[in-house]
Amino acid sequence: MLNEERVILMTRMASYENGEGRGNMSIGNYFRSDYIGKEVLKAVICATISFGLCFALYLFYDFEGFMLNIYKMDLLQFVKNILILYAVVVVIYGVISYIIFSIRYKRAKKSLKKYYNNLRKLSGLYD
Amino acid sequence: MTSLLVFKEYLKKFYGSYEVFITPILKFLLAGLSLLVINTSLGFMEKINNAAILLIAALMCSFLPVGFILFFAALFILLHLYALALEVAVVALALFMVMFLMYFRFSPKDTLVVLLTPICFMLRIPYVMPIAMGLVGTPASAVSVSCGTIVYYLVSYVSGNATTLSAMDAGEASARFRMVIDSMLGSKGMLVTVAAFAITVIVVYTIRRMSIDHSWTIAMIGGAIINMVILLLGDLIYDTKVSVIGVMFGTAVSVLLAKVLQFFVLNLDYSRTEKVQFEDDEYYYYVKAVPKITVSTPTKTVKKINTQRHSVSSQNRGGTRSTGTRGAGRTRSYDQE
Repeated sequence: MLNEERVILMTRMASYENGEGRGNMSIGNYFRSDYIGKEVLKAVICATISFGLCFALYLFYDFEGFMLNIYKMDLLQFVKNILILYAVVVVIYGVISYIIFSIRYKRAKKSLKKYYNNLRKLSGLYD
Repeated sequence: MTSLLVFKEYLKKFYGSYEVFITPILKFLLAGLSLLVINTSLGFMEKINNAAILLIAALMCSFLPVGFILFFAALFILLHLYALALEVAVVALALFMVMFLMYFRFSPKDTLVVLLTPICFMLRIPYVMPIAMGLVGTPASAVSVSCGTIVYYLVSYVSGNATTLSAMDAGEASARFRMVIDSMLGSKGMLVTVAAFAITVIVVYTIRRMSIDHSWTIAMIGGAIINMVILLLGDLIYDTKVSVIGVMFGTAVSVLLAKVLQFFVLNLDYSRTEKVQFEDDEYYYYVKAVPKITVSTPTKTVKKINTQRHSVSSQNRGGTRSTGTRGAGRTRSYDQE
C-alpha cells in the first residue's frame, strides 16, 4: 500500500538532492575553516592571475617607453609600488571572498540540517 | 486577462510535459543566435564564419551545460579578433579571463547575462537587461550587466574600426595595442552606460523589495526613468552621442518586455491583500500577504458521437442474441456520455 506522505517527502528530497542539495552536500563535507580556507586560497590564486594579466597589459601598453626609462627609474621603488598594489588587490578580494563563502557555508549547513530532519522524519514513517 | 492566465497555465503545462526537448531547443536557439550575431558583426576568420561550423557549435551547446554557450561565444570572438590582429585578441582574452576569474566564480548562474546583454544591444533594446536583472536578480547582477556592456562595446569598437586596425603594420603592434586599450578606457559612452545600468539594477532591486503595492511595476518604471535620465545627462555632460528618440523608444519597449517577464514570474492580486499581526515569545510580526493570481485550465471533454449506435439499437430491437451483448455495451457508453 502506498503511503502518500512518504512518497511526497521522498520526491521533495530527491528533487533537493538533484538540484540545490548537490552543491550544499559538497560544501557540507568540509569543516567551516577548511571550506572557507580552500575558497579563499582559490580566490588569491585567481586574483594573482588577474593582477598578472592587468600588469602585463600595463607593461605592453607603453613597452617602448618603459624600456627607455628602465635604467633611469628607481626599479626598487617601482617593484615596491607594484607589490603594495598587488597586496591591496589580493587582500580586498580575499576579504570579499571570505565574507561570501562564509555566508554560503552557513546557508548550506542550514539547508542540510533541514534535509537531515526530513530524512529522520522519513525513517520515522517506516517504523 | 483570464485568457492570458489560462494561456500561461497551458504554457507551463506544455513546458512541464516536454521539458526534455524544449530546454535543448532553447539552448540551441540561444547559442545559434549568439554565434550568428558574433559572425555577422566580426566575421574576420573565414574558417569559422560559415553556417556548418555555427550549426555544429550550436548543436554541441544544446547538450552541454548553459555555461558552454558563453565559452563558445568567447572562443568565436577571440578567434575572429585573432584573425584581425593578435593584439586585439590579447586584450579581449585578458578581459574575459579577469571577468571569469574575479567575478563569475561567485555567480556562475549570471554568465548568461553577459551573453544576453550584447544581443539586446544589437536588437536596440539593451535597457531591458538592467530592469529584468533588477527584478529577478540581486544587486550583484549589476556587475554581470556591466560585464556584458563592456563586451558589447569591445566588439562594436573592433567591428567599427576593423579597417584602421588591419591597415596598421605588424611593426606597429604596440600602437595597435594602445589604440584598443585607449578606446576602451576612454570611451565615455561605455562608462556612462555601465554606470546607468549598474544604478538601474540597484534601484529596480531596491524598489522591487519594498513592501508596497505594485512594487514590481513601480520598480520597472522608476528604473527605466532613472536609466533614461542618466543616459541623457551623460550625453549632455560628456557628449556621448546617444539618440534621444532611440533611448526613449528602447526604454518603452524594455518596460513592456519587463511587464511580460513580470506576468510570467510573479502575478499578484493586490485587491485581496491581507495584513495580519501576531506575536510569539521573541517577536511581534507584521505580515502582509498578497495572493497570487491563479486560474485553472479548463479541462476539455471530448464527446464521442457514435454513428453506429442507431444501427446497433435497431439490431437490438431485432432481438438477435449475438449482437445483444455488444449493443448493451454501447448503450452503457452512451449513458456515460
